[in-house]
Amino acid sequence: MTVQVNSPAPAFELSGVVGKKFQKVKLSDYKGKWVVLFFYPLDFTPI
Amino acid sequence: MAWVNQELRELTYPLLADFTKQVSKEYGVLLERLGAALRGTFLIGPDGLVRAYMVQDLTVGRSVDEILRLVSALATGKLCPAGWRPGEPFLPPLPKNTGE
Repeated sequence: MTVQVNSPAPAFELSGVVGKKFQKVKLSDYKGKWVVLFFYPLDFTPI
Repeated sequence: MAWVNQELRELTYPLLADFTKQVSKEYGVLLERLGAALRGTFLIGPDGLVRAYMVQDLTVGRSVDEILRLVSALATGKLCPAGWRPGEPFLPPLPKNTGE
């Protein structure tokens, strides 16, 4: 695990769907806000 | 996009594709043999610090209630006892350690 509590979250920039549009999202867009980042395996499975 | 339009409908948060699996690797949730990510959840504070994370195996889903409870508790900046829920009392601040 390279992630540790109380350490900076690894930065990223990814494309995806925001509302009804495709766009790029980066973690730093959320500076000043709480972020719940979650990963899930395999589309079409319950999260 | 078809998934969003036909099944997910009004998705109120961004849904991102970690196509190269770089991000799941960096966050330590990539199962290399399967090429898929574990169900990892990371709570990141307004300052960009990781404040909590949970990773469970593929077979069990998350508890949204628990995620919200943790964000609420972390956001208070106060001492929250085990099982604390919003509206419940905090623990008194710890006395300063004088080193004696």
